[in-house]
Amino acid sequence: MRFDEVVLAIMKAVDGQRTVSSPYHLIKGKKSGQTIQDIGYFGLHPYFAVLPKLDKKDYLDSIERLRAQGLLVPDDNSIQLHQSAIELQLPTTPLNGWKYRGNERRFFSRLSLIVQTMSNFMQDHKRFDPVVTDEAVQSWTKSYLHRIDFRSPEVQAVFKLQIESSLALAKTAEMHKDILMARLSGYGIGGLTWDQLAAKHQLLPIDVKIAAVEALHAWLDVLEGMEYPLLTGLLEGIIQQSALTESAKRTQNLYERGFSLSQIAELRQLKTSTIEDHFVELAMNDPAFSPASFMEDELFESIRRISKEMKTKRLRDIKERLPDASYFQIRLALAVRGEAI
Amino acid sequence: MNLEKLLYDAYGYTEFRPGQKQVIEQVLSGRDVLALLPTGMGKSLCYQLPGKVLPGAIVIVSPLLSLMQDQVAQLKKMGEKSVVAINSFMKAEDREKVWNTLSHYKFIFVAPEMLVQPFVLDKLKALGISLLVADEAHCISQWGFDFRPDYLRIAEVLPKLGNPQTLALTATATDKVTHEIKQYLKLSNPFIYAHPMDRQNISYDIRKFENDSDKLKAFLEIVAEYGGPGIIYAGTRRKSQELAEKLLALGIRAAFYHGGMEQQDRIFVQQQFANKELEWVCATNAFGMGVHIPDIRHVIHFQLPSSIEGYVQEVGRAGRDNLPSLATLLYAAGDERLVESLIMDELPERHEIELIYQRKEEAKQLVDQGMIRETAYRIISYWRERLPLEGTLNQIEQLKKEKQRQAASVRGLVHSSGCIRRYLSASFDQENPIVPPNCCSFHGIDHRLFKDRQRLSEAPSQGGWKERLEVLLPI
Repeated sequence: MRFDEVVLAIMKAVDGQRTVSSPYHLIKGKKSGQTIQDIGYFGLHPYFAVLPKLDKKDYLDSIERLRAQGLLVPDDNSIQLHQSAIELQLPTTPLNGWKYRGNERRFFSRLSLIVQTMSNFMQDHKRFDPVVTDEAVQSWTKSYLHRIDFRSPEVQAVFKLQIESSLALAKTAEMHKDILMARLSGYGIGGLTWDQLAAKHQLLPIDVKIAAVEALHAWLDVLEGMEYPLLTGLLEGIIQQSALTESAKRTQNLYERGFSLSQIAELRQLKTSTIEDHFVELAMNDPAFSPASFMEDELFESIRRISKEMKTKRLRDIKERLPDASYFQIRLALAVRGEAI
Repeated sequence: MNLEKLLYDAYGYTEFRPGQKQVIEQVLSGRDVLALLPTGMGKSLCYQLPGKVLPGAIVIVSPLLSLMQDQVAQLKKMGEKSVVAINSFMKAEDREKVWNTLSHYKFIFVAPEMLVQPFVLDKLKALGISLLVADEAHCISQWGFDFRPDYLRIAEVLPKLGNPQTLALTATATDKVTHEIKQYLKLSNPFIYAHPMDRQNISYDIRKFENDSDKLKAFLEIVAEYGGPGIIYAGTRRKSQELAEKLLALGIRAAFYHGGMEQQDRIFVQQQFANKELEWVCATNAFGMGVHIPDIRHVIHFQLPSSIEGYVQEVGRAGRDNLPSLATLLYAAGDERLVESLIMDELPERHEIELIYQRKEEAKQLVDQGMIRETAYRIISYWRERLPLEGTLNQIEQLKKEKQRQAASVRGLVHSSGCIRRYLSASFDQENPIVPPNCCSFHGIDHRLFKDRQRLSEAPSQGGWKERLEVLLPI
């Protein structure tokens, strides 16, 4: 997928119901209640946090291109796609952002340092400038290398073979794999910058960044499903056990111990609205979550029914029909899992 | 004590570089030392080796985060394990870990803004400091080209640390700055080692053009004719990108480098350059730190540098192997206007100063809102704690004059007729250097010496990921 296609894919899901900047927050992986609840409402899991360092300017450039192509109709309030965009078929993508949360980058940093180290040692160079400067990654990698006896030629051969055979299975374009592997460095050979890769493949820098993330997600999917003893070691702490953000998890713990929403806000010294966001996140992720302590069954049913009838998830539209419901109640009701609405 | 033996045992070197031994001897004798050593002359050894002998910790105050990281990396590369860096970008839990194990470290790098925190001070005091190193000590000079207000605070904490023995290191300092360093760091009867900053193996060439297009044309010819490895300094990020694109279009192996790139990409460019995968790097002045390449043959300034000090540092990256190297400065009529506007843009403006005085601590938010620039905020906050508004306005007025002097001295570089080497030395209050063969464009350069060097071979084949894996991990 090109970056513009990622933006379009998100826009197609939220067309008319969200602002033009909402895809930006999603792609960056903003942990706000709004962004996180939208993932569940609109099925945007693939795109969450795929580019945590996305530059605002790169995003605005993409919007400009979409407008210039007539796919996006200029509108100050919300996304208005042109019919041609709605009918446009987008390529399938191996992106799985909600699962990896940007942690795939840590996996790749570890891999970069391991490959660089092996590459140098294989060619009798024991001193080199590490390609990754993050100290946490460095110390993790150091202990990993000692654990696997990385100086042994057998281990090196197996490590290489596991990279080759697992990446071959990854369900993504070969070009994406080329781009990803070009970001590795070794003895006498430096990784390529995004600009160099863009020039080489005649794409935009932002497109090659997405390609690398696609390759990583596809690869991680293979690594997780199969046994590659050396490589799966690199997954330590990469794949989130719980789908919840750290902060929401803490709220969940307190809630399970019997504290109310306002008590939790008090205890954690956080705004009530933040804690509300956590409950929306809980509702989205936990199939057993019950909204019963926040609203009557009747209100819950009404919100779901109206959303369905009006084919909208816009809070304001629903609030107009149900003035007694709070925005929090509407958000929560829409977030609860169960039959698709 | 046999220092040579110590050097060999610790790091496997058989001899010192000029100046190192004198400095280390004086440090070990317990004197305060101020050492002016050009970049690349092994400044860090001046505290590394004493660290092998002195009982307590060596605390190194380093003004730039990237510089600090680079030094830590270099120390570790030399096999030094007990090194740690403390800066405000560390995660709280990592910092906590460091505090609890601080006594295990011999070399402790601290950012100036951390050093002034009472908690940090207490920790360091309890530790017992054998030597305090002020790296890049010229940053203490408020008139210098690199002023860091936080650096002045070192002086304020010295008594709280029990006035430890101090080693001040810098690559560039005029007499005025040397005097300030002595004064602010309260160096008592210090031993001063000043290495001549003149680099005899560098030839200085200045070429002047009527307009930009003539300059650009000449630039492309020079690059094609002379070959690298070389650095091309451009005044702006955009320019560095433009120049790299022009060279790439001519089939020359070049890349750009500037502070706007993500860190990983910057490391990649450094590596490619060190590996000789690249012949030229078109860069802003962000390029240099962390580049340890001895055989850079040519440094080209496509635009005027913003200070003589900066120019000398940038040019000094050429020819660390002491072989003949060329420094070319390209000038088109009117170029000084860009430099002057860049220099003056850095200064805090009156309305910024007044705003910071009005809002006090809350002024930080104005930085986030883009009403006040970060650098202006840093400088003014420092003065706000010490001076009334009028005093600060006065300070900034002085600073402006100093900046104008800097700009004039850069103008002088291109407009004064005479020996360039002599002009540079005079800017640092140093004695007239010996005029070597091929000294400069005034004395004449035999350009055949620098042309037609061996060119880089063609780029490696454009294989796919499996081929790349084969190259990375050849079995």
